[in-house]
Amino acid sequence: MEQLVTVLVVGILLGGIYGLVSIGLNLIFGVVRIVNFAQGELVMFGMYGSYYASTYLHLSPYLSVFLVAPLVGVLGMLIQRLVIQPLTSEANMQIFATFGLLMFFQNLMLAVSRGEAYSVASTSSDGALAIGDLKLSTARLVTFAASTLITVGLHFFLSRTLMGKSIRAVTQDKRAARAMGINVERTFLITFGIGAALAGMAGALLTPIYSITPAVGGNFILAAFAVVVLGGLGSVWGAYIGGLIVGVVEAFAGYYIDPSLRSAVWFVIFLVVLIVRPAGLLGQVGAEEVGFREQH
Amino acid sequence: MSSDQAMLRVDKVGKQFGGLRAVDDVSLSVRKGEIVSIIGPNGAGKTTFFNLLTGQLAPSEGEVRFDDRSINALPPHARARLGMGRTFQIAKPLIALNVLENVMIGAFMQAGALSAARDQAMAVLERVGMAHLAPRRAGELTLSERRRLEVARALALQPQIVLLDEVMAGLNQSEVAHEIELLQELHAQGLTFLIIEHNLKVVRAFSDRVVVLDRGRLIAEGTADEILSSPVVIEAYLGAGHMGSGRELPASVTNEG
Amino acid sequence: MNSTEDIMRVRATASTRTRPVPAGPAPRRDVIASAGSAWGKYLVGMAIAFAPFVLLIDDSHWINIIAVTYLMGGLAAAWNIIGGFGGQFSLGHGVFFAIGAYMTGGLFISFGWSPWLTMLPIAVLAGGVAMLLSWPTFRLRGPFFAIATLAFNEVAFVLANHLESLTGGPRGMMIPFKVGFVNMIFRERWQYALLMFCFAALVIGISVWLRRSRLGYYLLAVREDEDAARAAGINVLAVKLQGMALSAGLTSIGGTLFTMYLRYIDPPTLFTLPDVGVKFALLSLIGGIGTIAGPLLGAALVIPFENWLRAELADSLPGVSLAILGLVMVLAALFMKRGVMGAFEDLMKRRRGAKERGQR
Repeated sequence: MEQLVTVLVVGILLGGIYGLVSIGLNLIFGVVRIVNFAQGELVMFGMYGSYYASTYLHLSPYLSVFLVAPLVGVLGMLIQRLVIQPLTSEANMQIFATFGLLMFFQNLMLAVSRGEAYSVASTSSDGALAIGDLKLSTARLVTFAASTLITVGLHFFLSRTLMGKSIRAVTQDKRAARAMGINVERTFLITFGIGAALAGMAGALLTPIYSITPAVGGNFILAAFAVVVLGGLGSVWGAYIGGLIVGVVEAFAGYYIDPSLRSAVWFVIFLVVLIVRPAGLLGQVGAEEVGFREQH
Repeated sequence: MSSDQAMLRVDKVGKQFGGLRAVDDVSLSVRKGEIVSIIGPNGAGKTTFFNLLTGQLAPSEGEVRFDDRSINALPPHARARLGMGRTFQIAKPLIALNVLENVMIGAFMQAGALSAARDQAMAVLERVGMAHLAPRRAGELTLSERRRLEVARALALQPQIVLLDEVMAGLNQSEVAHEIELLQELHAQGLTFLIIEHNLKVVRAFSDRVVVLDRGRLIAEGTADEILSSPVVIEAYLGAGHMGSGRELPASVTNEG
Repeated sequence: MNSTEDIMRVRATASTRTRPVPAGPAPRRDVIASAGSAWGKYLVGMAIAFAPFVLLIDDSHWINIIAVTYLMGGLAAAWNIIGGFGGQFSLGHGVFFAIGAYMTGGLFISFGWSPWLTMLPIAVLAGGVAMLLSWPTFRLRGPFFAIATLAFNEVAFVLANHLESLTGGPRGMMIPFKVGFVNMIFRERWQYALLMFCFAALVIGISVWLRRSRLGYYLLAVREDEDAARAAGINVLAVKLQGMALSAGLTSIGGTLFTMYLRYIDPPTLFTLPDVGVKFALLSLIGGIGTIAGPLLGAALVIPFENWLRAELADSLPGVSLAILGLVMVLAALFMKRGVMGAFEDLMKRRRGAKERGQR
């Protein structure tokens, strides 16, 4: 029983990480309707940014968020404007372009860092909180809390602010939104910026937990796809809940089946959801629009 | 007029989308060699109805019968193989291919090999007067040429019935006359037609029977003259305020949208 | 609504066009290249592709690169069948590559079975697996289809690491150096290069045949417009599955050759996307997606260049070759979607158009 609870808690905390990493991807996916293969690299940039901020500016990772997130956000907007926007409605070329960005960013950092792995020590890295018999890593708890707060924050942003409402309008019906006078290109730009900033934020918050290598983005992007598809596109809470589910399933699979099969879990989830219920758990976006054709 | 002779028979077909009844209890028969036109205001469900016939959509209720067999379960490509050709409201030329190859795509259904398909496609292009355009990239065609290409591709299937979805939309008067001439020739050669049309001049020139859809329901059926002076139909198009004028619908109720 | 935009756009095109071309005698013969011309071009092209082999046969450094170029060209051409002709961007062809690689290697090591004999049955198996995996995933739209294929690649990677008894797991599989034609193990590098050339010639030859067959035309129709394809009596799913099976089978054969060439395979070698699954697509993109010559041309442009980069800069700047490839991919997607062959075709068309205008 104790094992069960431990695994569950580990899973939940892991789910918090996944939710954090996926929330930006979900936003971009749901609004701009593109698959941003390079999203994991944006997380990676967040991590490296946090490392440099820590090394040269002596900022703690949690403070570096305020510096790193906007920078990655700007990068996101550049990507949207220069790469994605020219390829509107060319889905296949978008795949090439974002995958090319993935390769470029990843290997750029590899060349810059000469393959060295970095890590950022922080007061929370080794700290742990004891609850009963459970020892919970402080860093992961902070991340979980951050993930929850960010989700709540994004929810309010989307429902209460004017920009947020524009984003939701564009998510639901691009043409209608344009007809109502919403500048769709600008909305895409801002959405990508926010999605990228969220990725950068996630990276910065994760530096106490993971070691920083150029390939680290690859770990996250795959899980993030599973989370986003499971949670349902366009739904902020979908990403959060999807993250929790993926985290818990992965923890259980790793513990009870085989640790080396953990990453397979992401894909099995992804494939099963897409085939059985493509709209995901809480999807706002219509299934046919996004990923699924009506079959005869 | 016995229904045994109907090539295409639609029995009480309906389509529900969530809360919306796009097509409601529509029944229709098309006999071999007939030209039946479907008219109706925007949003009446005409294209949805077509999609139910061609298999793009599955009906919520009712049955579609072709050559006296139910085809409800057949997917679109199987219906094409049975002899149902169709064109699309927005023309869909295969832009990376040239005109001849576009028609060959249809011809391959009957011919297995390249040379046979090419010859059959060329014959179809001659039939519609587009043989000189054979090498042209489909993406470079004018609107009327694209429309005609759609028809050619459907003809290459050697169909029994051709379903045309607003094939005249966007064409100018001389282009329309040109198209009507072609369709009349094809009809004289024995082809059956079921067409959706907004251009009432076309309907008058090229219909045996006219059927009117409004808000998913079939509200009137008759000859072109009967329909175009029917108050019920005028009301559907222009709204209740114009009832009782006894006038006909203006001949150019064309839809630009 | 869609139709307004469509009509406005086509009207704009129509208004810039002069009167339609006066109908002269219909040019029947050359609208579609005759069989003679198509195969003639193939023979000439393959002869040109063979030239580097002949010229550099004694250069041990270059002959290796040439061998890999031919192999990758063949693999890219195999991908091109479903990705280029069919328009289905699979990023998971590494799975079929690995099936060919692992099964050939395993059967050779365990039973001594000649790769020449096992190659074809394995390819058929790979085709079957491809159909099985694609059947539920072809319903998915472009990017989602790509992610699903990526997912298959990653699952296969995990399985390859896990099923140690079959694949050797992370340690990999080593083929003993038992020279012999029957074993498909050669002493000289040039013999491998010749083998790879034959592979490329085979796949490209199949592409030429396919492009002139009903299946080929159906694949193109499915790529251009699925609804129009259905209305033309095409069973879209069946066509996609057939294209995928053919593509997968040929890819698997490439995997077989790769194993016997390198004689060492492990999961990272077979499944790393930028080196394998995505590389096939990348080479086709650069050379010209959907063309016949594109994939081999892309390989010829990229592989030697990549080799040079790695040799010069790997120590000082690790990853630089992939970074550049990534950048090239982005730029190609933005500015040269139809690749080098596409740019070439555009040039030819413009010159033909100028000639026509000159004649009038």
